[in-house]
Amino acid sequence: MLAYILNLATLICINAVLALTLNFIMGYAGIFSMAHAIFFGLGAYTAAYVAMHLSVSIFLTIPIAMCVCALVSLVLALPALRVRGEYFVAASLGLQVIGVTVFSEWKFFTGGIGGVIGIPAASVFGFDVIDPAQFLLPAFISLIVVATIITILSRSSFGRNLQAIRDSESAAYAMGKNVAVIKTLSVVISSALSAIAGALYAFYNGFINVESFTLDTSVLLMAMVIIGGTGTLVGPLVGAVILMVLPSVFSYMWFLPQTEIGAIQQIAYGTAMVLLMIFRPGGLIGSSGKQAKS
Amino acid sequence: MLVVQLFINGIQSGALYALIAVGFSLIFGCTRIFHFAHGATFTIAAYIFYYLYSMAQFHWVLAVLASTIGAIIFGVVLDRWIYAPIQRHEGSFFTVFVASLGIGIIVQNLIGMIFGRGFVSVATPLSESVELMPGLFVAPLSGLAIICMLVFFFALQVFLNRTHIGIAMRALSENPALVRIYGLNPRHLSTMVFAIGSVLVVPAAILTGAGSGLNPAIAHHVMLISLAATIVGGVGSMKGAALAGMLLGITENFALIYLGPQWSEAVTFVVLFLFILLRPSGFFGRAIAN
Amino acid sequence: MAWILKLVPRLVLGAAGISVATAVLAADITIGAAFPLSGPNASYGDIFGSGANLARDHINEDNLLGDKLRIQYEDTQALPQQGVISMNKLVNVARVPYVLSAFTGVSKAISTAAARTKTVAVNGGGVGPDLASLGAYFWNVIPLATDEVKAILPYLIKEKNLKKFVLIYVDDPLGEGIRKELETSLPKAGGELAESLSVPATMQQFAGIAARVRAANPDVIYIASYGSQQSQMIKQFRDNGIKQQIASYSAFSIPETNALPQAKGAVYTTQNIDWKSADPVTKRFVDDYQSKYNKLPSAYIANYYNAVRLFGLLASELKKKGEAITGENLLRQRNETKSFDLVGGKVTFAENGTVISPMQVNEIDGAGGKVVSVTGK
Repeated sequence: MLAYILNLATLICINAVLALTLNFIMGYAGIFSMAHAIFFGLGAYTAAYVAMHLSVSIFLTIPIAMCVCALVSLVLALPALRVRGEYFVAASLGLQVIGVTVFSEWKFFTGGIGGVIGIPAASVFGFDVIDPAQFLLPAFISLIVVATIITILSRSSFGRNLQAIRDSESAAYAMGKNVAVIKTLSVVISSALSAIAGALYAFYNGFINVESFTLDTSVLLMAMVIIGGTGTLVGPLVGAVILMVLPSVFSYMWFLPQTEIGAIQQIAYGTAMVLLMIFRPGGLIGSSGKQAKS
Repeated sequence: MLVVQLFINGIQSGALYALIAVGFSLIFGCTRIFHFAHGATFTIAAYIFYYLYSMAQFHWVLAVLASTIGAIIFGVVLDRWIYAPIQRHEGSFFTVFVASLGIGIIVQNLIGMIFGRGFVSVATPLSESVELMPGLFVAPLSGLAIICMLVFFFALQVFLNRTHIGIAMRALSENPALVRIYGLNPRHLSTMVFAIGSVLVVPAAILTGAGSGLNPAIAHHVMLISLAATIVGGVGSMKGAALAGMLLGITENFALIYLGPQWSEAVTFVVLFLFILLRPSGFFGRAIAN
Repeated sequence: MAWILKLVPRLVLGAAGISVATAVLAADITIGAAFPLSGPNASYGDIFGSGANLARDHINEDNLLGDKLRIQYEDTQALPQQGVISMNKLVNVARVPYVLSAFTGVSKAISTAAARTKTVAVNGGGVGPDLASLGAYFWNVIPLATDEVKAILPYLIKEKNLKKFVLIYVDDPLGEGIRKELETSLPKAGGELAESLSVPATMQQFAGIAARVRAANPDVIYIASYGSQQSQMIKQFRDNGIKQQIASYSAFSIPETNALPQAKGAVYTTQNIDWKSADPVTKRFVDDYQSKYNKLPSAYIANYYNAVRLFGLLASELKKKGEAITGENLLRQRNETKSFDLVGGKVTFAENGTVISPMQVNEIDGAGGKVVSVTGK
């Protein structure tokens, strides 16, 4: 039972990192990406590849994964510079679908549908983190690190610039802000940080597969941010905790059919999204007042 | 002959894609609502038909009627009770989109719970191909798909160009405020738009059910195609959406053979992605201010 | 807003409390089963489960283990990642020493967890050749694709004189395994693999593939897929004018495919099990199954019956010796035992955890199927 709770806590940490990084571009920059799971996956696959062929040191695998994600995120940054709103959502959807196809087909790197098996344990300062119970510590530390970075960034002038762009791009442009660079930077930072979550996930499970990085995952991450509250620091954390605990809570309700727990969870957060948008668009933590029109 | 066969297959898929895309384009163009739940309308229509015709063994006319009514009710309810309240409060595109996304998720999972997540299809002799020429096999379903598309599209053109309501709808997409000044009610028009857009989905849903089969996750695929065709064709242009839908169907089938089946869906999105980067206004759309 | 922060810890603690209570109540011996219980391959889960449940009932009737044997089922939907999640649940929460597995992709995925936690995983349905090399804790009670292919090729090539093959395979470890097997075996058996076409596991529209198959003009079309996808393939191929012989492996044995009118005439391999055998284990299995379900069992059902029975035999030996029922002890016990009395006769395990079995070729005839060839007896 303790193992189960530790497992849940570790997964919450990993998903919280993803929710925080998604909120950074969604809530602060107004870039509504539906392709976040792809960067999660890319980080995971890269870390797995490096661990299996180069070195298991966490201080090598994670930075390499971050660099790869940062580079590839430029592909997402391109449409962000050209269009906004619905068009960007469409582009990110397209990227998500293409990404899943690449993950399924590039067997050399991703193992195709069979996935990557037998990922070795991560090594921290020469100490192999094998026991799942021990993994909670690196996961939690990573969450703290990412949360701190994002908090600092959002409170800095960079963060204020981002919000200015979100609220009115033309005004920010008129003020002399280099909109293109700021937008690109925010996408790059967000993707690089989500690579950390990907690497942790790969090491933790010892097995990764394209199923974990599909549109359903991107939607789940988006739901975490929205339900918790976009544009706030605590919101994504709350969203991550609630959505991760939900399946466990449902599985203890014996009157619900066990094979439908996944569907029930999705209905729950789907309903939450609809109700929140009608009554409280800022999410649970966010302000109940009006948000800026985009 | 392989090329001709692929072309015919492509036209069949393309006709269905065109129908779906035109529905979405109409709704998005007139009301500016990112109706992600368009895929859910498709799923509901398809499964109602499947349930009534295949499982409950009703007559197909009844099943088609029920399907149509179901789609219309769904579209209108969404517009009245979900989108309208949101637009009254603050209605940024994102809020509406998220609500639509939420509805899509709910519908997909409810259908999955009721009908199971596996594939189902409507058994009908219409899916058996006839050998028109050596090496060229066409099923009656393909012909039906093309005829449906032409009939519906023609009817839509007449409606939009010749009737008062149709013209009012086109005005809505240009300038909602002006519409109000003329004494028309944008809200009522918007409901009509949703009703018509949802009806367009019904023939595609039924024919897909009989052809390649259904599963609850098909809403995603439908949505992505609508989106791709609408943007590539140009927002606000129904001709563009139809044309793009056909083209996507044909491209998908050719990609099937020359690139492999895994890439055929991705090719559609590479095309979409490139259009968004290089020509967001699509083929016929109005220019998008940057 | 603060109420959220109070609510969440309470939910977690509540969940923890309930589960601790339920864990304490169970004093049975529990084994796990990671099967597709929902999704497009749920029919396999039902079939496998019926065999496993019958064995569990027999073991409890005979009181073979002293305590009651219980099977904890988890839903994998035949997807590898879901399989890993199910395996984690079985190993960490239910703490089972023995897990029934199915599907090549899922089995490969959970094999790491099995090796790491020293839990025995037994496969009775997947046939990918890779399954033979997943470590000491992964056992197979079903012959793998190498044997399936070796059984059907002589029948098709020599007896029916069909030499030109086109392979349609699902793009996952199973499909890949069968493709590699056909590529090496076909030329040696006197046949030719004209083309191999891979399809994504989620694909349902095969008109385009049918066009390509027609263009290749083969004698035999070998389908390496499973579940509703294989039924769709058969139906759409026939709808699109493909009249040639269809062949496949044991996945065709499900009722859904056998009932398909377009599947008439298709041939597929399974293990050869003499349902009329007088051997007591087999007789009891067939009689009880027939009285419960009103039809003859199939190889899949027998395999999962055997998998559970195997556990029963090993665990009862361990109990006699006074040893704990752990994965490690089960493995050692299996290595020490020469042979087991399972459905179909005496079974011996090879070093790599696989079994050898005679094979048969079945033909779908819309009336329960018939056996057209037997090899390896």
